[in-house]
Parts: sequence; structure tokens; C-alpha cells
Amino acid sequence: MLFSYKWLKEFVQTDLDADEVARRLTLAGIEVDGVEDVTPEITGVVTAEILAIEKHPNADRLALCKVRTAEGTYSIVCGATNMSEGDKVALALPGARLPAGIKLKKTKIRGVASEGMMCSEAELGLAAESEGIMILPRNTPVGEDIRTVLGLEDSLIEADILPNRPDCMSIRGLAREIGAVTCALFRDKEVDFEEGAVAVDDKVKVSVEDTELCRRYTARVIEGIRVEPSPPWLIRRLELHGIRPVNNVVDATNYVLLEYGQPLHAFDLDRIAGGRLVVRKAVKGESVTTIDGRERPLKEGMLVVSDEKGPQAVAGIMGGKDSEVSDSTRSILLESAWFEPSSVRRTSRSLGLSSDSSYRFERGVDIESVSTALDRVTAIILELAGGTVARGMVDIYPTSYRPEPIGFRVERAEALLGVELADGEAENILERLGIRIQKTSITGHVKASPPCYRLDLKREVDLIEEVARLKGYDTIPETMPRAPIGAKEPGRLFELKKKVREGLVACSLMEVVNYSFVARDTVALSGVREERPVHILNPLTEEQSVMRTSLVPSLLENLKSNLSRKNEEVRIFECRPAFCMGEGGKTEERWKAAMLLYGYRWGVRWNQPREWLDFYDMKGVVERLFESLGIEDGVAYRRVVGENRLLHPGKGAVVLVDGREVGVLGELRPDIQERFQFPRPPYVCEMDLEALEEAVPEVRRYEPVPRFPESSRDIAFIVDEEIPFADIMDSILKLDTKLIENVELFDVYYGGNIPAGKRSLALRIIYRSAERTLTYQEVEDIHSRVAAELVGRLNVKIRM
Amino acid sequence: MREELHRLREDAFNSLKEARSAEDVLAVRKKYLGRKGPIASLIKELGKYPPDERREAGAEINRVKREIEDEIEALLDELRLREREERLKKEKIDVTLPGRSIPFGRLHPVTRVLEEVEGIFTSMGFDIAEGPEIETDYYNFEALNIPKNHPARDMQDTFYVSSDVVLRTHTSPVQIRVMETQSPPLRVIAPGAVYRRDSDLTHTPMFHQVEGFMVDERVTFGDLKGVLSAFLQRLFGEGTPLRFRPSFFPFTEPSAEVDIRCVMCKGTGCRVCKETGWLEILGCGMIHPEVFRSVGYDCEKYTGFAFGLGIERIAMLKYGIDDIRLFFENDIRFLRQF
Repeated sequence: MLFSYKWLKEFVQTDLDADEVARRLTLAGIEVDGVEDVTPEITGVVTAEILAIEKHPNADRLALCKVRTAEGTYSIVCGATNMSEGDKVALALPGARLPAGIKLKKTKIRGVASEGMMCSEAELGLAAESEGIMILPRNTPVGEDIRTVLGLEDSLIEADILPNRPDCMSIRGLAREIGAVTCALFRDKEVDFEEGAVAVDDKVKVSVEDTELCRRYTARVIEGIRVEPSPPWLIRRLELHGIRPVNNVVDATNYVLLEYGQPLHAFDLDRIAGGRLVVRKAVKGESVTTIDGRERPLKEGMLVVSDEKGPQAVAGIMGGKDSEVSDSTRSILLESAWFEPSSVRRTSRSLGLSSDSSYRFERGVDIESVSTALDRVTAIILELAGGTVARGMVDIYPTSYRPEPIGFRVERAEALLGVELADGEAENILERLGIRIQKTSITGHVKASPPCYRLDLKREVDLIEEVARLKGYDTIPETMPRAPIGAKEPGRLFELKKKVREGLVACSLMEVVNYSFVARDTVALSGVREERPVHILNPLTEEQSVMRTSLVPSLLENLKSNLSRKNEEVRIFECRPAFCMGEGGKTEERWKAAMLLYGYRWGVRWNQPREWLDFYDMKGVVERLFESLGIEDGVAYRRVVGENRLLHPGKGAVVLVDGREVGVLGELRPDIQERFQFPRPPYVCEMDLEALEEAVPEVRRYEPVPRFPESSRDIAFIVDEEIPFADIMDSILKLDTKLIENVELFDVYYGGNIPAGKRSLALRIIYRSAERTLTYQEVEDIHSRVAAELVGRLNVKIRM
Repeated sequence: MREELHRLREDAFNSLKEARSAEDVLAVRKKYLGRKGPIASLIKELGKYPPDERREAGAEINRVKREIEDEIEALLDELRLREREERLKKEKIDVTLPGRSIPFGRLHPVTRVLEEVEGIFTSMGFDIAEGPEIETDYYNFEALNIPKNHPARDMQDTFYVSSDVVLRTHTSPVQIRVMETQSPPLRVIAPGAVYRRDSDLTHTPMFHQVEGFMVDERVTFGDLKGVLSAFLQRLFGEGTPLRFRPSFFPFTEPSAEVDIRCVMCKGTGCRVCKETGWLEILGCGMIHPEVFRSVGYDCEKYTGFAFGLGIERIAMLKYGIDDIRLFFENDIRFLRQF
């Protein structure tokens, strides 16, 4: 929100400059985002007096003026006609700079030298257009800088007014705060005007049907006004604060809105049917065309200001087109009211219509200042537009504001803040803020009554904050709390996530983090199971409209964007929750870890083989991850069966631990690969961490390092390729788990002299006993049992 | 015989002096010490001497033989050494060729900073708690003293799943969830992803926060300052100047914002700190009595503080990253730097 420093100073007496005030405000909780010097870029323009006006010798329409400054006399050629001898004017001398980058030079006009220029308001940037040159008051001293004379030196303070301080959303309010913060004197405006003879009640009848939603309604009537453009100073102020000027009446209401923070509305009185206004809830089927020209159907219960024909304004939000002030308006009804914040907010949301007015009503305006602001705007309009104001004010205010005193304990403030307060310090600060302090003589307890505009002060703690804020947070000493030692575990899932991340980084994968929302058609790629996704009602874009049910689609997007940037070795993982709709419309979140491998295993290097990553790289990552998590037994991989939207049907596996599914891994389906235009298939994996959590052993036990030597035997055989390797392993390990320590597959071979549909496997079997060194014969015996088992059970053909 | 032996010795030593290679030396050995060599013949001739002279002559011959042998061994050792050195010199490689690449993984910068923050707070005795990212309106707003139709809701643009379910806009709901199930004393931080309907150079619709709070009897605003000051000194370095500035959050009272001295310009003013010399780093305050009321704590007995900080912002400052969207683009060239 913007605040002219010059305007602020009309209310608060301070010698501090704008930057210092900004700093002090920031440290007192009104965060200033910036201070901008908005003095127009004018140099070399001084006040001057016209001594004589003669006709230009060579041009009928031009005048030749003798002009005096403190320095000397100049002769100026001028095209305007609105000046007379003795007038004070703004004289730009050669070398002067005017707004819009104009630099003045000595010139000759029609053969006569002109030693400067008498400026118009437009040329000084004070008005959009102007007729003739600017004539200053006769008592203006000559030779003064025009910026000083016109008071153009100003700074604009941009402050972030948070929702708890609606009282600071005006020049007057912020000035009051500056006064409290810097201990400077606050002066309110004196408002004075003369009322006409006819009473307002004879001009208009106002009633309020809903005094909960409209707790105060005030109005005045002014007749015989002239609606015309506002004077430059008013236009400049409005424009500085980002408000477009309209006409003197509307501009005056906006001016007071900025100055007092009170939204005001002017109705064209002649267009109020029956001379009667009612503040009431809209009924079914009603609508109003607001001043922005749009017809707005109203919902039942929205508060409106209505005449006999129907709604003339959506209360507190926007006036109606029908009764808008126009150039032909002669009489106006000025409205200043208090509308209930949440009602204004609901209506504003529902209509999708907000305004400077609704913004302030939503945050709460000062109910006691409603009439003050009305008088202020009345005075300004009378000055700018003339007319006569009817006697008295409509003021419907059935339950007037009564301050609720708050108990305040200094010792509570000290205890909460951790600081000692000097005698009377807290009370002093509160009084600076306009809070009335009453001390009970017997108990010494303090009752504090905040002023009506401080809607945020409701509890003792709110007052404590005020004390801390004005005392300065920097005066509160830093202390360390005394606290018992405790060591709660962060929870198994939290630990698991950490371990999974570490494990995958150790497998040379890079962690990515993606948004949880994806496009509607991306979510369809997810996972093995059909899951109902969670939709966002108000997404920023279609690409971010559904909560992902799997992390894999995001990784595919990551691969795509990396490939487009020529990053062709992509090994990534993500560890984040996935979301879906569960039973009974409840959303579910499950933590997952997803991985993706793509590209050459070793990149493209001079001394490393150019090999593509494949399924077994992905599986290797999973195996290594399990190893690092301490999951050793009960792990199984089963080929995915049935439809899978994600994985290649022949190259995808379900990962099980103790028979329970914990994830999937495999090659991406070729049709999805094509859709993303990946030149090679990526390998992906997704683990359900909450399922995995149960598989991770609580404690890990050490296994003794063997004391006796191993004996190993190799065996090679031809076997039907439909028999999974896991079955072969199982049948060997089932034999004698005590002496067979390990089985290592060291060769898989197809083709050549191996018949079609078969493959050759070569295993090294490690035999060892924990109690003694095995004899040659013992090893031979068990090894032949292994061979016999393979032949007998799996019908393999042993190769010699 | 003695002269002959002496001559033999001289000859052998002279030949050895001329030997240039191990082969030459071996030839010398064969010539003088071989089975058919002169020393061997001298030994064969020993039988001709009378027994008393025989012993002396034999000893003499053996002495010379050993002398020659020792000289040969020494020479051989030296030559072998020289030859090995020469061979090694020829076995050279180009040490400037690039090394074999060892693939490596990296944690995302957000994770790294999260872990650092978690580490500092756990070292101060804070526990870690987590909560759901899809939250009810009650936990995200109402219980935190942000009623429906309150302008404070404008402070955070919210994604809705239904009229009553939102993507959490902060990790503060975890505060409520923890307080509902546990009693003071509490020291907890809650890290996690949060969502706001906002997207530009400094805002992404999803980002990460760490919420923290402490509740006990006699926790003060001074304690809040002490704990956060200690935390920020550890995160940004000992002696980093900071300031506490009043602010507004519906769920704390008094509320504060903490600024650190701009890490880019050290306070002289720059684009990053908008010429102020200060960087807003976190929001905090004393837990609002209404929040205690909603979880059934006695707000006369207990006081507490709470704070929340944005992780991406800290990562940006720590690593000098100027565009928050980089965190979510996941470009390998970006990720590999952390």
C-alpha cells in the first residue's frame, strides 16, 4: 500500500525524513518495502513576475513578455493569452529540465530571442492537459524553486499492511502509528463547513433492515453541485496512490478513502427512486448492474443498498451504474457506513468482485470514524463542486461502540517476553498507542481500553505484543530455554526415507524433487494398480491439476527434459509421497521411492566399454539398496503378470519381501517410450516405502567371519530357458544349507551349440563348514548330490 | 701357482670392468668360474701338491674364487637394477588422460539443507514429526486461529481438493497434530513439502518448510530469540548479524520476522536484499492462546514459541541460486553440483 510522505506529515509533526520513518516503522512491525522519491524531475524552474506584456513584432498570436526573477530580467516569447502584467508564473530558464526529458535552450521564435519559457501545468507534469500557462498566487515570492513553492517534493512509502492492522490502511491511520512509534505529535484534520437550511430527513429516507451486517449507516445530501474534473493537486495525489481520477465528486470520495480509510459512495440523488434507500439482504432473482457495466445476479442474503426499484449498490463492494454520479448530476447522496467484514468478504468472493472499498471493509473499518470521514468528504466536495449541504446527517447507529477493557498484568508481560519492564514502562507505551489505562487502586491491576480503531487488540497477549513492539524486539535479551533432556525417535518411516536416499546415492543415483501434481493424462501412466487420483479444484495449470499416484511419470518427464538438454546419462531417483483417493472419499498418502536409469552404463569415455544400461542394472540397484537396508532373506522377484500400463510385459518384475509386494521394476513399455520419444528404453523401479518399512529388520546381527577354508566347484549345464534361475537356486539351496555357503552364477549362454529354447548356465558353488575344513571327498560327495538334484528335478544336461 | 692365481684374478676383474651387461658378466663367470674354467683346473691340480701345501693352496684358490664371485654378484645386482630402471622408464603412460569415470549420486539440495536444519535442531533436543500433505481445513487454518472468511486467508493462496480439504499451505498443522496427542514439554520440528497457489521467479507452487515449536512452562520470547539466534548462527556462520522485527501471523502473538544480514552484499545493499542490507529468513512468535485453546492446553500454565522457515530460500542463499524454479527442473547439470 502506498503512502505519500507529504500527506502523512499533514497529520503527524515530525522532522524525521521518509527513510528514517520507514526504518522505524519496519522495526515496529509495519514492513516498508521501499521509499521512492516522487518529486517531479524538474530543475531550473523558478518563480517569476511578469513585468510587461507586448505584442510580438512578427507574429499576431505570440506575446513578448518582460519577466523578472531574483537574478534579473528576461524577455520571453509566449503563445498563451491567460496572463496579465503582475502575474506570478513558473519560468524555465535555459538549461532547465522538465519532466519527460525535455531540456530547455535559448531559442529564437519568429526572429525574436526567447530567454526561457513560462510553463503550463502540463509542461511541469502536474496535469495531463492544460490551457494557458500556470498562474501562481500573487503573493508568491520570485526566484524560488518551483518544486518548493508548489510542494512537489514528496516521497512515496510502500508499506506492507498485514491483515491485523486495518487501522493503518490510510494516511491518517499510518500517521497515527508513526506518531506512536516515533513519539511525534498526531494532529487530526479540522473539518468545517456550513449546512443549508433544509434538513437531510426532508431530502431522503434511509432505513437499515439488517443492523448486524450494517451496524452503522450515515449519509449526507448535497444539492446544486457542478461535476467537473478535479484540480491538479487532487489528481496528482490520487495518481500517486494508483487511483485513476474520474470527476471531482468521485475523486473526493477516493481521496477520503485514502486519507481516512473509510470507503464512501456518492449516489446521484435524482436517480434514487422514491428518495428512499434501504440497506437489506438481496432476495431471490435480484440483480444489479455495477459501475463497471456488468450485470451481476445476486444471491439471496447478499447485502445491498436498494431504492424502490431495486438494488443500487452491492453494500461495501461497488455502486450501481444506474445511480452513478455523472456530468449531469446536480444532487448527491454521500454514503459512509460500516458493513460486517465476513459478509463483505463472502459476497465479494461469490461475485468475483473486489474493490478498494471491499478490501477495507473485509479487514474492518473504524466504526467511530464513519461520520468523521463523511464530514471530511462533504467539506471537500463543497469546496470543489460547490452546492449546499442539507442540514444534519443521517446516522443509523443503533448499538454504538463500547470499548471492552482488557485486564493487563505487567508480570505476565515480563514472564511471556522474558524481560524486565521498568515501572510504568508498559503503561506508558500503551498510552502512546491511544489505549486508555485505568489502575485499580487496591490491587494495582491495570485495565486497558484500546481505541475503537484497534480492532486487533482483544486479549492481554495482544497488549503484550504492543509493549514488546514499541519497546523494540532488540531490547529483549536472548536466552536459552531450560528444558528436560529427551530423545524421541523420529519414527521408522522417517529413518527409512533417510536410509533409502543414502542407499540410492551410494548406487550413484541423483535425487530429484518434483511437484506432487501432474497433468491429467500423465497420471494415467501410473503404476500397476488402478488408483483413483486426487484432483485439485483450482489448479494453476492443467499440467498441475492431479496429485500423482506414482512418482514414475515425473521421472519420465525429468528424463525427457534432460535429454532435450543433451544430458544423456540419467540415473535419478525421487523419494516423496504419492496420493490417491481411498475408502470413503478419504485421501491417502504413501511414501514411495522411484528410480530411473537411462543411457550408457559408463557414459562415453575413452577407456570404458560403451554398454547400455539394462534391466539388471536396475535390479542391481534394488539388490544393493536391500543390502544396505539389511533386508537379506525372503526377497523374491516375480515376472509381472497381466496388464501393466507402465512396464514391458516380458521385462518387468514385482518385488516381494516375505511374499509381500513392495515394488515393481523393469523396462518401460515400448509404447510409452515412443510417446516420450526416448531413443532407448529407460529402466524404472518404484518401491512402496511403507510396505518396505515392515521388511526392514529392527536390529542387525553380526555373522562370524568364517574360520575354515572354503572349497568351490564349478558346474555348467544346459537347461530349459523357461525355468527361472530362481528355481534352480532354490533347488540347490534346499539340499543342504549347512555346507553350501553360496552359489555364484558366472555365465549365461545362448546360441552356438545350445539347442533353441535352452540356455547354458555356469555356477560356482562355494562349500564350507563352520566347524572344520571339509575333506576332498566330502566336497565331491555333496557336489555330486547337487548335480544329481539338478538332473533329477530340473532335467538339466550337465556339460563337461 | 700363486702368480697364476693372481693373474687370473686380475684378468677376471679386468674383464668384469669391461662388462656392459648382465650377459657379459655371466660370460665372465662362465669363462673363469665354469667347470672347465681356469679356477676349476687349478683345483684339479691341487692333488699334485704335497698335503701340507695343498690345504694352503686350496684356501688361496677358494679365496680368489669367492672374491671373483662376490664381484660378479655385486655387478649383476647393479646391472639388474639399472636394467629395471631403464625398463620402467620405457613403460610410461600419459598421465594427463582423463581418469576412468566413477558414477556418483547426489542428494537434492533441498534434502541437503533439510538435513542440515534437522541436524541443528535435533542437536538442540528437538524431536522430528511429520504430517500429511493433504490436510483438512481445520488443521491447516481453523485450529491455527485462521477462521473461514478471514482476510488472513489471503496471506496464503490455497489449493483446494474439496471445500474442506486443502494442500497444506504450511507445516504448521503438524503443530496441532502433535499437541493434540502429546503433552508438554514439547520440542518438535516438522519438515516437509507445502503448497501455495503462486508461481514466479521467487515462488513455486510447491516448496519445503521446517516448522518448529517448543511448549513448556515459562518459555519466553527471549528463549525464542535465543534458540533461533543459535540456529541461524550455525546455519549461516558464527557472528551473522540478525534482527527480530514485529510481524503478524494469526497463530502467534507476539509475532516476529527474523532478518539476517544479507549474505550477498554483507549489508551494503544489493539486488538480492532489495537494497535493505537485510534478508527475511523466517517467521516466528509466541504460540497464540487460541491455538492452545484448540488443543486443550491451559494457556495460563503453558507458553511456547513456534517458527517456520522456507528451505528453498535458505538453499538459494547458501548456494547463491537466483531462480527458485531450478530446484524443480531437475537438470542433471544442476543436481550434480550439490
